[in-house]
Amino acid sequence: MNPKANGQLQTEWSWWIAAYLFLGGIGGGAYAIAAVNWFLGESASASTAVGLWIGFPALLIGSVFLLVDLGTPRRAVLAGMKPGTSWIARGFWIITAFMVLALLHLILHAFTAVGQTASGRMILSVVGAAGIVCAVGTMAYTGILLGASKGIPFWRTGAVPVVFVISALVTGHFTIMLIAPFYRGVTAEAVQTMSLEAAALVVLEVLAILFFLQAAFKTPDPRESALRILRKRSFVIGYFILGLAVPFVTMLIVYRSVASTELSSYVPIAAGAALLGLVGGLILRQSVLVCGALPTLNIAGFEFRRIARPKDPKPGIGMLPPQ
Amino acid sequence: MNRTQPISAGQPSLSGLRMPRYGMVIDLKRCYGCYACVMACKVKNHTPPGVFWSRILKGEAGTFPNVVRQALPVLCMQCDEPSCLEVCPTGATVKLDNGIVIVEKDKCMGCKYCMMACPYGARYSVDEWESYFPDGLPLSPYEEFAKQAWEDKSGVGVATKCDFCRDRIAEGRDPACVEACPAKARTFGDLDDPDSEVSILIKRYRGEVLNPEFGNKPKVYYLAPR
Amino acid sequence: MTAAAENRIEEDVWIPTCCGQCYCMCGIKVRRQNGVVTEIAGNPDAPSGRGGICVKGIASSHLLYDPYRVNYPLKRTNPEKGLGVDPKFVRISWDEALDIIVEKLRECRERDPRGAYFQATTTQASEIRFGVIGFMKGFGTPNYWVSGGGLHCGNGAHFMNGIMHVAWSIIPDFAHCNYALNFGCSKGHGAGHVAVQNATQAADARFRGFKNIVFDPFQSAQASKAHEWIPIRVGTDGAMALGLVNSLLNEHGIYDAEYLMYKTNGPYLIRPWDGRYMRDKATDKPLVWDLVDKRAKVHNDDSVTRVEYEDEAHEVALTGSYNIDGVDCRPAFDLLKEHVKRYTPQYVEEVTGVPAATVSRIAKEFGEAAEIGSTVTIQTSNGPKKIPKRPVATHFFRGTQGHVNSGWTCLSVDMVNHIVGAADTYGAAFGLGAAVGSGYEATGKPYQIPYPCPDGLLVAKTWVYDHVPYPMRVPKPPTRLDLHDMFPTSIYNAFVITSPRWEEILERFEIPYKPDVMINFGSNSVMTMGNAEAVTENFLKKFNFIFSFQLYVTEFEEAVADIVLPDACFLERYTPAVSFPSTFSHPQGEDDWGWSIRQPVVEPLYERRDFNVVMLDICRRLGIHGRYYKGLNDSIGIRYGGEMDEKYRLVEDGSVEHSWEDICDRLLKDRFGEEHGLEHVRKKGVFTWPKKKEDVYWKWFNPSRVPIYFEYFIDSGEQISKLWDQYGGKDFFDLDWSRFKALADWYPCPSHTETSPEYDMFAFYWRAVMHCNSMTQQNPYLDECSQEDPYVYAIQIHKDTAAEKGIADGDNIWLENPQGHRVRGWVALTDGIEPHHVAVAAVAGHWGNYMPIAKGKGTFFNDLVEMDLPHTDPLTFNQDICCRVKIYKADR
Ligand SMILES: Nc1nc2c(c(=O)[nH]1)N[C@H]1C(S)=C(S)[C@@H](COP(=O)(O)OP(=O)(O)OC[C@H]3O[C@@H](n4cnc5c(=O)[nH]c(N)nc54)[C@H](O)[C@@H]3O)O[C@H]1N2
Ligand SMILES: Nc1nc2c(c(=O)[nH]1)N[C@H]1C(S)=C(S)[C@@H](COP(=O)(O)OP(=O)(O)OC[C@H]3O[C@@H](n4cnc5c(=O)[nH]c(N)nc54)[C@H](O)[C@@H]3O)O[C@H]1N2
Ligand code: SF4
Ligand code: SF4
Ligand code: SF4
Ligand code: SF4
Ligand code: SF4
Ligand SMILES: [Mo]
Repeated sequence: MNPKANGQLQTEWSWWIAAYLFLGGIGGGAYAIAAVNWFLGESASASTAVGLWIGFPALLIGSVFLLVDLGTPRRAVLAGMKPGTSWIARGFWIITAFMVLALLHLILHAFTAVGQTASGRMILSVVGAAGIVCAVGTMAYTGILLGASKGIPFWRTGAVPVVFVISALVTGHFTIMLIAPFYRGVTAEAVQTMSLEAAALVVLEVLAILFFLQAAFKTPDPRESALRILRKRSFVIGYFILGLAVPFVTMLIVYRSVASTELSSYVPIAAGAALLGLVGGLILRQSVLVCGALPTLNIAGFEFRRIARPKDPKPGIGMLPPQ
Repeated sequence: MNRTQPISAGQPSLSGLRMPRYGMVIDLKRCYGCYACVMACKVKNHTPPGVFWSRILKGEAGTFPNVVRQALPVLCMQCDEPSCLEVCPTGATVKLDNGIVIVEKDKCMGCKYCMMACPYGARYSVDEWESYFPDGLPLSPYEEFAKQAWEDKSGVGVATKCDFCRDRIAEGRDPACVEACPAKARTFGDLDDPDSEVSILIKRYRGEVLNPEFGNKPKVYYLAPR
Repeated sequence: MTAAAENRIEEDVWIPTCCGQCYCMCGIKVRRQNGVVTEIAGNPDAPSGRGGICVKGIASSHLLYDPYRVNYPLKRTNPEKGLGVDPKFVRISWDEALDIIVEKLRECRERDPRGAYFQATTTQASEIRFGVIGFMKGFGTPNYWVSGGGLHCGNGAHFMNGIMHVAWSIIPDFAHCNYALNFGCSKGHGAGHVAVQNATQAADARFRGFKNIVFDPFQSAQASKAHEWIPIRVGTDGAMALGLVNSLLNEHGIYDAEYLMYKTNGPYLIRPWDGRYMRDKATDKPLVWDLVDKRAKVHNDDSVTRVEYEDEAHEVALTGSYNIDGVDCRPAFDLLKEHVKRYTPQYVEEVTGVPAATVSRIAKEFGEAAEIGSTVTIQTSNGPKKIPKRPVATHFFRGTQGHVNSGWTCLSVDMVNHIVGAADTYGAAFGLGAAVGSGYEATGKPYQIPYPCPDGLLVAKTWVYDHVPYPMRVPKPPTRLDLHDMFPTSIYNAFVITSPRWEEILERFEIPYKPDVMINFGSNSVMTMGNAEAVTENFLKKFNFIFSFQLYVTEFEEAVADIVLPDACFLERYTPAVSFPSTFSHPQGEDDWGWSIRQPVVEPLYERRDFNVVMLDICRRLGIHGRYYKGLNDSIGIRYGGEMDEKYRLVEDGSVEHSWEDICDRLLKDRFGEEHGLEHVRKKGVFTWPKKKEDVYWKWFNPSRVPIYFEYFIDSGEQISKLWDQYGGKDFFDLDWSRFKALADWYPCPSHTETSPEYDMFAFYWRAVMHCNSMTQQNPYLDECSQEDPYVYAIQIHKDTAAEKGIADGDNIWLENPQGHRVRGWVALTDGIEPHHVAVAAVAGHWGNYMPIAKGKGTFFNDLVEMDLPHTDPLTFNQDICCRVKIYKADR
């Protein structure tokens, strides 16, 4: 490989930030699904029960990943200083609000009898509605954060938040499916619905990602990133095939067959597929991050790009002295 | 011919009332890609490996035999509308009255979002100070000094960037990269003063900024290579 | 800086001195904070640099403090020598080291002092002129050389520029030149001579609209800034230049008759049968034909000479045929004009690859830009004077002359200037370093005004060697190990000393001693000459004992050194004369004269000791210090422009021990007066005085002429060949004596006559701005910068050529020459190279284990350089540094 090929690429944000975005997505996605389900009256369904349990911890762990990636974590308290202009600051408040609401919702729902009374339900609807707004905010934020990065043309498109929101729903949903089997109340029917929903969401995600990539192909700098991402084995195999295609097919199979089989035999299959989907979701984010490249600078008809320093320049040795 | 005579840099304008708005002009016809500015910046700011506040990019245009190479010196463009500042969540990145964009290292949490937001790739951050020499030998006195200077002024775990050598211009000297340039390709001064060398150069030779479509309104101008 | 940081700074001073990362030796100032060198910048007080500095100079603090520097004397404990042999160096004390060295030298001196061989690096040229020269004279050995220096870069050029400009090199008068032809050199673009000011001047000139036309096989820095880049086949510049001369004379009819009549030997009448001057019977002086009086006159007859431009004289014949005592003679110029007719644009195109139409066009543009007939008035010390303005110049260096046609190519390229009168006058090609000067007013030193020989030709008053390039030395039976005494047209050679038959040759030429002790000051000759194995096996391993003053343990020390001495680097020592003799470090042009010195910025660290101090010590221990001082006294006269006054001469009888600082002080006081000794010059690092305009544009103030017809080469060739045949030199080398002749020609290199279609590419090297030869790759700042650059560590190949060969960007490839030597590296594809060429930068591809940062970076080009006779210029013995290669992918 050309030792200087990756000079334009950003290298600062990789797995840690990918994990942060990923967990933020899961938290937001799972919670949103749960809360919507609750509004739809399925307060006891697996989706609702499990989903509510995922939101807060996912965000909490996600924030830890972000902290780990910070150069000076002890100054993280300053992260919300400039919500007027900065999406990290806005994210800080959105996520904080979301975490409070998700935790509150979880507590009210799981540990109290609030849901049994009308006034209680009223409170829950307010919390839930606000929670959903914050969850959507959280999911979108992970994409908008990247979209607001002027330095990385590949990210600078409305498609990224769309992809990330859908992927957040998909991964949130897959997380629910992964944990649902441990939930006592899960039924074959519920599983069947969830599979169908999953398959549908995956279709949406495929559409979104295709839209994102074809849009990227229209301008030179994003095109190079897009080409790079398509040449990335982890993206094509890990994300697209194993993370999307395989779970999609599996979900359809599960949907067709779960009613006629024992629920327990579906568990490893669906859980496996959901797990693949989750890994895919992480890979997606990491791929989008590491394929982000600085814009080419031009002046007077010249194009200028950075050259990466060859990590391993060793080839220079000419006629090796006899050993 | 004395190349190091400082131009009104750092001094308040004649009236003493107006704040200067600092900018730089780089004449691509003069520049021959010699890296002196890169090294001057490195040594003046004691930047560790991988950090190039001042950087040379090289480009090639055309096909043989009608082909030509050109160097492009880049640094922080000290944008009037700095996208790095916009995204900074903590307020560590600020624009001074004289237009210089700086990072206040004690406020920076090292999220590196500004690095993603700067379209000119002008920002760098190191998580750990690193020696230039392999094998973990004891640091040389120079590296001891460099490490200390870096930690005092710029720091690890935070974003860093060119600050137009504001300590030098405060002393009435040109930035290190300007002083070092053997081709006198770089000129520093007050963009708001119509009689400053930079203003005159920009006007007379139709200075352009890099990729104006980014919308950052850079204060580093370039004069055409031919 | 924060308050905390400021508090820590107790000392903060700037010390003026001179850079030593390359031989340009720019004036610098070095910042020392709390005893540590922290910053380096240009010294605005020094004419050499004028406040400018380059990337290497700025990066020097890492050279001073590099933990891989040699800090203690080392002794080889493995008796085996050779490439790749582990020397098993152990640390010893200075006493032990000097004891061994002095013992070896004493033994050598008893056997025959000439067995001592001094090898030095050109990079520290100003140090060489003391420790090396003094020792050679004191010890009594004639054997000395600067390895790859000279061999690659000076044999051809310095000799020829010495003849034509009494200077080491040539350069355009950037301040006033409008149109220049640049042949294979990067002057003004990062490397080459007085690199920093020339860069400033070249940039100013570009800004002003100066047109530089660059002949180079690839888009070098200079080509990229040029008005026009003309890709040329390597080694063919001579043909190109003669094509231009032909086109000027015979196609466009452009030449400067006034200049040719009064400032060259163009009008000298040549007798037909042996090509010698027709001489006056009474005075033996060459004759010219007075067109007014219609008779022959001696060349310096008042009626036919014009020293100054405003002088009046009769016109003399440049063409035609004139009968003198029954002999039909023709002016030399007429012969030249006819001779160059064979260099038709079509022929030039065939040889160089430059289209015929371009050759004609460039000649015309050059001729027109010369503005022949135009003048300017300058203010001289004798009032205003009119002189010709010729704002054109050709210039050249390493790339052009590194071929088997070196000598004639250098002369041909410069000839273009002399045809249009563009030499050492306003706007024209100048000798460099600044060659002519009447000295500091109060002392008249350094005095370097050239003068005419009896034949009227230019003779240098000062020169960096004991012998000036003209008049030509008479070849003598050899006493040197490289037979140099026999070869007045060369400075050094490699084909004799690296011959596998060297010992046999020495016997045949009756050299009564053998290579014995080698003293190396800095050079890494294993890497900088040519094929490393040939250098090591045939040459270096023939010495009984080698000790080396070094900053690093390089490939040379690893392979062959018995003792390595830790030298002080340029920031840790005194050197009394840096910009003089004016070779590469003194700028030309109207700026002041400046005599720069080096002074320590910090005391030598660890156990490092300054070379010149140690050499004094060694000589004292050998008891030859008196002779050493005498050697210095003697050489100062010619090298530094005037004999030392009695008052300052070093005491030669050995009764006094002069310290190095005392020697520095005396030299300065002698040149600039009692009050301007070391203490005084230290303050600014330089002593300056104004330059007279007539010293800058000296051509029309000096009574001498330059040759365009090299009559005396014929004699020289006959003398050398006679001597050669006496010894039966033919049994070893079949030297081509036909090159010793009067008129310039172009000759092909082996790379041009290679017939095997397999070797389809020409390979050559170029200099990157961040490297000086072989040392700077170890500087981590410079190494990092190189990695930032797309080409410095790469092999450049045209992308179409690569596509044909199935080679991709970043591939690892081999370059293999027809002799089977190969080197490898990674590929950078580009449009900016002539498609049949491959380019490699610097002296890179280190394999030594003691320079870990340098190790493995870039490509070791020189293994492709063969040091045999076919790759040597028979006239100047310059090395041929181009070759044909085949290229193919390397498996990793
Ligand atoms: N491939 C290739 N070959 C070349 C050249 C090229 O550009 N490319 N250039 C050619 C030319 S023109 C030349 S002049 C020669 C140069 O050939 P060399 O004279 O051998 O020059 P360097 O390679 O610079 O080696 C200089 C050595 O001197 C040491 N040194 C530097 N400063 C000091 C000092 O102050 N004291 C002591 N004791 N040692 C010191 C360094 O450590 C280094 O090892 O190489 C020639 N060979
Ligand atoms: N940065 C830097 N500066 C240096 C040095 C250094 O190593 N690095 N070394 C110093 C020394 S020792 C020397 S001798 C000088 C040398 O200084 P220069 O003579 O200026 O040498 P180069 O820079 O090697 O320039 C040679 C140019 O000629 C081209 N070339 C090669 N072969 C041919 C040819 O056959 N014909 C033509 N027309 N062009 C050709 C090369 O591509 C290159 O661009 O520089 C000195 N200054
Ligand atoms: S160049 Fe980048 S770092 Fe500098 S002010 Fe502009 S956006 Fe900020
Ligand atoms: S790294 Fe520092 S300066 Fe940059 S955006 Fe984050 S807090 Fe602001
Ligand atoms: S102005 Fe100062 S900090 Fe900025 S690039 Fe130049 S030298 Fe570096
Ligand atoms: S120092 Fe000047 S000439 Fe050299 S690269 Fe920088 S701007 Fe260009
Ligand atoms: S040109 Fe040579 S002497 Fe001058 S600063 Fe650069 S390395 Fe030093
Ligand atoms: Mo050289």
